[in-house]
Parts: sequence; C-alpha cells; structure tokens
Amino acid sequence: MSLMPFASSRPLSMGVELELQLLSCHDYNLVSSAPDILRQVAKSAHPGEIKPEMTRSMIEINTSVRHEYAELVEELRALRDVVSAAGRFLNVAIAGGGTHPFQHWSEQKIFDAPRFNYLSELYGYLAKQFTIFGQHVHIGCPGPDEALHLMHMLSRYIPHFIALSASSPYVQGHDTGFSSARLNSVFSFPLSGRAPFVLRWDDFERYFGKMTTTGVIESMKDFYWDIRPKPEFGTIEVRVCDTPLTVEIAAAIACYIQSMSRYIMVEQRTPPEEDDYLVYTFNRFQACRFGLDGVFIDPRTHVQRTIRDDINDMLARVADHARELQAVEALERIREILITGNGTSWLRRTYAREHNLGDVMQLQAELWMGN
Amino acid sequence: MTWSDYLPFWPFVVSPALWLALTLVIAVLVSETMVRYLRLPRIVGYIGIGLLLGPGGLSLIPHVPAAEWRLVVDLALGILLFELGSRVNLRWLKANPWIAGTSLLEALATFAAVFSLLTWFDVPGVAAAVTATITIATSPAIIVRMVTESRAQGQVTDRLLLMTALNCIYAVTFHKLAVAGMHGETGAGFIHTVLPPLYLLGGSALLAWLFGITFERIHHHLGQHEETFSFVLFGMIAFATIMAATLKLSPVLVLLAAGLITRFRRRRAPTFPPHFGSAGAVLVVLMFIANGLAADLAGLRDSFLLVLLVITVRGIAKILAVLALANYSGIGVRQALALGVGLMPMSSVALLLTLDTGTFFPGFASGLGLMLMSCIVILELAGPFLVQGALHKAGETPEVKRT
Repeated sequence: MSLMPFASSRPLSMGVELELQLLSCHDYNLVSSAPDILRQVAKSAHPGEIKPEMTRSMIEINTSVRHEYAELVEELRALRDVVSAAGRFLNVAIAGGGTHPFQHWSEQKIFDAPRFNYLSELYGYLAKQFTIFGQHVHIGCPGPDEALHLMHMLSRYIPHFIALSASSPYVQGHDTGFSSARLNSVFSFPLSGRAPFVLRWDDFERYFGKMTTTGVIESMKDFYWDIRPKPEFGTIEVRVCDTPLTVEIAAAIACYIQSMSRYIMVEQRTPPEEDDYLVYTFNRFQACRFGLDGVFIDPRTHVQRTIRDDINDMLARVADHARELQAVEALERIREILITGNGTSWLRRTYAREHNLGDVMQLQAELWMGN
Repeated sequence: MTWSDYLPFWPFVVSPALWLALTLVIAVLVSETMVRYLRLPRIVGYIGIGLLLGPGGLSLIPHVPAAEWRLVVDLALGILLFELGSRVNLRWLKANPWIAGTSLLEALATFAAVFSLLTWFDVPGVAAAVTATITIATSPAIIVRMVTESRAQGQVTDRLLLMTALNCIYAVTFHKLAVAGMHGETGAGFIHTVLPPLYLLGGSALLAWLFGITFERIHHHLGQHEETFSFVLFGMIAFATIMAATLKLSPVLVLLAAGLITRFRRRRAPTFPPHFGSAGAVLVVLMFIANGLAADLAGLRDSFLLVLLVITVRGIAKILAVLALANYSGIGVRQALALGVGLMPMSSVALLLTLDTGTFFPGFASGLGLMLMSCIVILELAGPFLVQGALHKAGETPEVKRT
C-alpha cells in the first residue's frame, strides 16, 4: 500500500479527537459498555462522530473541522452532552483523564472489529495495556512540505502540550509520581517516538516506501509517533496530550496549538534542524515526569528553565496570532492552568482530600459530565 | 466419684450443631472440587449437599427444627439483601424510566400468568393470588452470590440487581395484601384486613430509614477504616434483622430498603469486602446449606404437572416482559434474553413468604405451599446455572478465567 497523496485543507483549521473512559456507577471501575453506549447514541442525531476504540471500556468523540475556539468548544460540549445523556440512561459514568487509576489491564475486553482484533493479536497484552485515553489535535496545512515543516517545528514544544494536558498520575492503584504516566504506555510500542527528520514530501514518500518494503508497516496508522502527518485529511496530528478533565481545557489546548502553528507559519522564519532533536527525549521525559515544573532545555540556546516559564513566554509571543484566530479566551484558560495547575494537580488534590481512588474517579466523572 | 462424672455417656448425646458443622465442612469441600473440575457454581454444591444429606435426601443428618436455623438464615439473608440494596442505583430509574416500566411489567406479567394458571387448575381466587405474589420475587441470595462469584459487570448485571431488588419489594408488599385478603375471607374484621399491610410497610420503612441515618453517622466517623466499619455494619444488620422480627415487620423489606437508602444518600456503593468479610461469607454458605436441608420435594408427588407449568409460565412471563421493552430501555435482544433468564431463580425470599403463609393457614402449607416448595427447590438448584449462563452469554463475565 503506497502513501496517499496529501489532501488539501484550509490552513489552521482544527479537529479534536478525545478518548473517553466508561465507568460503572457501582465502583467507578472501567466497564465494557462501549457497544451499549454506541447503540444508544446512534438513536439520535449529533454533531461530529462517536466511535469505538481498542477496548470496550473506551469510546472516542471527534469534532468536525473547526476554525475558532468558540465553535470548537460549542461542538465539544454538544458531543459531551450526547454521550453523557446516553451514559446516564445506561447507568454508565463517563470521564476524561489519561489513565484509569485502578483498572486492571487483564480485565479489559477488546472491541470486536477487524483492526482491533488484528492489533490485539499482534501486540498481545500491550493492546490491553493500551487502555489509556488521549487527545489528538489535527491542524490543517496548506501543503505537504508545509505540513512536515510545521511538524518538526512543533516537536520542540511537545513538552508544553504534555504538561498542560497531563492528567494521569495514577496507574494500577498507585501514584506513579509522573504527571503523565499515560505516555509511558505509548513508548512501549515499537513504532512510537518521533518522525524521521525529513523536510520534503517526496523524501517522506520515499521513506514510507522503504518502510513498507521492509514489511514493518502497512499504513500511516502503524506509526505511533508523537506528531504524524495525516495525508488523507491534509493535516498534522499532535498525539501527545492526555484527555483533559473537561472539554473546555481540551478546546483551549487545541487552540493553543493552533495559535502556535500560526506563529510558526507566519512569523518564525528559522527552518527546523536535526539537532533540535538532541534534547527532544530529555524534554519530553521532564514534561511526563514533572509536568509544568519540569525542566525545558531550549534546543538552540541551551538555556534551561521550567516548562511553565517557557509556556508563559510562548503565550506572549503568540498573543497577536491568537487575536487573529479569535482564540484569546482559549489562551486565558491556558494561563489559568499555569496558575492553578493541570489535571494531575487536580487529581492529587482530590485524592489528598478523599483518600479513596473510587471517590476521586466519581468526582472526575462528575466534572467531565458537567453535573 | 463415679465413671459417669468424667467420661461421656454412651451413646453420645450430641447437639444438632455438630452435624451442621460437619455438613459445612463436607459441603465446602465438595463445592470446591466441583468448581475446580466441573466449573459449576459453588452455591449448587452447598444446596445440593444439604439436600442430599438432609431429610429430603438420604436423611443422614437428623432433622433440625426450622427455628434453630432461623437466625442463621435471617442474618445471612439480611447481609445479602443489604448488599443488593447498596449496589442498586435508584437514580437510574429517573434517568431511564423504561427500566422502571420493565420492572413493573415483569412483575405484573408474572403475577397474571401464574394467577391465571392456578385459577385454571381450580385454585380459589385468594389462594391463587397469594401464591402468584410469591412467584414475583427473584432470589436476591442467588443473584448477589452469583454476581459476586463471577465478577460480572455491565447492563445485564446492573439491571438484574435492580430488578431483583424491586420485584422482592413488590412480592413482599403484595403478598401481605393478598394474605390480608385471605384473613378477610376467613372472617377477620375490616380493620384487621387493612392495618397489617400498612403497619408492615410503614414500620419497615421507618426502621430502614433509622438504619440509613445511623449508617451515615457512624460512617462519617469510621469511614477511613472500611474494614473496621464492616464489622460495625455486620452488627447493625444483625440488630435490624432481629428488631424487624421482634416488631413483626418484614426483615426482607427493612434490610433491602436500608441498603437502598444508604446507597441513595452516599451516591456511591460502599467498598466493603463481599458479605462484609469472612464471618458474613460463612453465614451465607450456611444459609444455602440450610436451604438444601429444608428442601421439600413432597409437592412433586401430588402436583408434578402444576410445578412444571408454574416454573415454565413464570419464566416465559419474565422473559417476554423484558423483551417487550428491551429496545426502549436501551439493550439488545441478546441482553434482554439473558436478563429474562437471569430473573428466574427463586429461593430464600420466596421460601420465607411461603413458610409465613403456612403458619397462618395450615391448609396452604399442605397444599399450594408444598407445590411452591418444589418450585423453589428446582429453581434454587437450576438458578445458579441460569444466572451463570445468562451473564456469560451477555458477555459480562471476565474473559480471562483465573484458577
């Protein structure tokens, strides 16, 4: 199978995908209710898409193509209300967050669809351990070379997105000490990490062709990169975020990425360099481990500061672009996160008060469902 | 001093409790063997051994009067009923009224089907009504035990628990009404026909409410230590059960309602070990053995056909009622079938109601009561298989079987 031609899309258009947790209202553990929820939401019309995911205790909601924060957050709220209503009808709670704090991976059941069965067959227990919940953000690009340019430029800021969305400190009943423990599960896949340093689309096609002839991959879907091009949509897809605890934060993070993309496309003229990636895994680890307090090393100047400070600096630089994109309110929310903390701080605060992960999960679901 | 001062008499005079202790050991050993080699539900082993060794079977164990058992059975049933109540989310009925509808339809259909069948067999109206109300109830003991044992979760499991809790409430309530009607027929005054159900319902609700409040208070102080708290709860359940019996209220209603109220106020099910620890679990096992010992299949001799028909008609009524509203309430046909089948088991609650009716009306005990006892024994033995199969077919049991 050869690589699809890069479709055209409106520059800086956005789409958001959120993977959600389905919980039993009895003990707030994951429950395999995806088929029931999907059957229920199919009965009435709704915007965007609601789809199954790898295991039966998760579903995914996708927005349509959006250009501004206001319409994006409105569609996400509508989608949230549809799945929440279906959840209440079926006694199933629905929550954000990157991991479930006390689910046992061996109890998860694979959703019955050819691709999921194939992946389960291939990856074995990794597929069931992949019961983690992420946010993917698509950004529209004018052309394939621009897409690769944007992808490599955004790679430097991956720690921003990880730290802002981080909401997965608890895994298998314990605090991992990580701000985003979810990404540790992604790293165990053989084709995870970053895309090769290739700046022109024909070079990328050649790389893809070589990879297919080795038999390692069949399609773009087999790459679990942090950012990857999505030729059929004409977008690049940022895949490092945890699903935040509310749809409002999800929309704000998407618009932060959008504003930064505009800054990169319009204002920042410097081309990406392969040496930018020397600090990549260090920075990414710092973001996963320490969140906003992690150390960020600038790949060009080698200056060290906290991720929080680097985001603050970035907010100032992209302010004009955000105004152009009507995303000022979104950046306000990002600023709030820098002050009050990300999802992980909320979860740790709640656990310190409740002393019980079941209660934390219940409050997390109430927060997401908006009741 | 003589020999007899320090040596035991021959033949030994032993308390019946010795035989029960022995039965417990044998029943548990046999059940574990059955689970390991045949993958059968444990309960079947407990009931089966009771039935086999007891007066209904080989008569190896001397007859133990029901009164000696009563406390064990009541306590264990109390634990299971409270567990059932505290697992049921009443708010769900508001979010999905079709489930309330399904529950009412299922109870009504069961009553109507069994009632018509009995009148067709020339059973007098009031007696037929009393019997039909008893058949409404699904066994909470078997449902809770099987759900715990199979670690099932999902739509069918949740609905099975909810509808079992509701149909037990219907059964106890309408049974009291029907029995009051029977009293009316035997010449009791109007006031003694109306007051008993009112006293039963009002009194049970009040006791359950007091239980809920106390639970809340104690949990507020002991909440962090769920294990310690489960001991306290154990005592509270025993207290409420005995208190209910003393006040001539229904222990079934009190404990079930107490569980429901607790859950409703806390919004989340309390995280207790199953049956509130090993002491509770032992009582539950003893209850199933006692049910086996008390099993009486004499009714099969006189009314074999009627027993089979009641079981069949009752099962069909439940399955059809659930199927009729399945689509509206948000489950598929396969799940609805599983739910309908899961509602079929009968045991302790029906047994208590049958025995209670019998103490007031000896005629009932030797006629319809015996017929009902046979139905209960059959559905008690078949029940665990039905529930296990239903939850498995609905895909709600874990895929990985652990040994």
